[in-house]
Amino acid sequence: MRTRLLISPVTAVLLLLSFTGATYAHHGFVSWFDMSHSVTVKGTVTNFDWTNPHAYIYFDVKDEKGAIVKWSAELGALAMLARAGWKRDSLKPGNEITAIGNPAKDGKPIMHLDKIVFANGQELSSAL
Amino acid sequence: MWNRLIFSAAAVAAIFALSPASRGRNAAQQRPLPDISGVWLVENFQPRLFPKGGAPFTPWAEMKFKATDLQTNDPNLACLPMGVPRFMIAVPYPMEILPMPTRIIIIHEGPQVMRQIYMNRQHPKDLDPTYSGDAIGKWEGNTLVVDTIGFNDKTWLDGGGLPHSEKMHVVERIRRVDHDTLVDAITIDDPMAYTKPITAQQVYKLKPGWEIQEYVCEENNKYTYQGK
Repeated sequence: MRTRLLISPVTAVLLLLSFTGATYAHHGFVSWFDMSHSVTVKGTVTNFDWTNPHAYIYFDVKDEKGAIVKWSAELGALAMLARAGWKRDSLKPGNEITAIGNPAKDGKPIMHLDKIVFANGQELSSAL
Repeated sequence: MWNRLIFSAAAVAAIFALSPASRGRNAAQQRPLPDISGVWLVENFQPRLFPKGGAPFTPWAEMKFKATDLQTNDPNLACLPMGVPRFMIAVPYPMEILPMPTRIIIIHEGPQVMRQIYMNRQHPKDLDPTYSGDAIGKWEGNTLVVDTIGFNDKTWLDGGGLPHSEKMHVVERIRRVDHDTLVDAITIDDPMAYTKPITAQQVYKLKPGWEIQEYVCEENNKYTYQGK
């Protein structure tokens, strides 16, 4: 909750609810994530789980006091991610990324990923 | 003598070939079946059949629906099959349609399920209830009409928790309306759960070059299923 309070005012952006072009994930993501809001978080990748039914990005985010907050981002299934341009080595520990997605309804530092932006500006979207 | 016999046989064969019955049979034999093969993906993913509510529940179904919780008792949380009609209308992963001489096979990428539509038989009697039911099909012009019964009641109609009973009867009219577009018009009849038939339509787009990939839902599933 503390984490969310620190990050949300800076980054929360209201999005219209739309399923067209939505990221692909099957486990009832609409019930876990607030699809009407978007959150943008900058951090350092610690792990990338290239697994079904969902891939996960784990990354460290510094809050305003410099403390590390352990974030994770849920993606879709591997086959759909591969069709969208992702590879098993798209992310490596140490990569600086900006992750944009829908925040968890319960306020935990977890998001349903829309896209990531690398430090060089390159983007990877989880939608086709 | 031989010439006359040959001529007579040829004349009889010609008359037979020109008879209406024979022409009809040849036309039926020669007319190619509509081609619905290929990898298809839903055009717009909408997990709910009734996004604004208003499903015509019977009291039995309304009670079951009120007990549903998308975070705990969606069978899909346990990587169980979506079942019919959910995996035809509310799954954001592709399917491949493989027509065979006596069956049409549909392979779904996720959850990895094979559906078989039998083109050469009726429904067996005393079916054991299953997730996908027993599907038989026939061509009506360019439309594949699929009739499915024999369901278990362990699946939802959609991603929103709509229940159904083992009495559910699903009729689909599948048609390739243009080269890149397939339409499945679905009628769900389940008098135990709904006061009137539910109709739905899903539009799929052809995905040239796509191949159905492996998808092992159980590999790293972090969701917890508390249903029964």
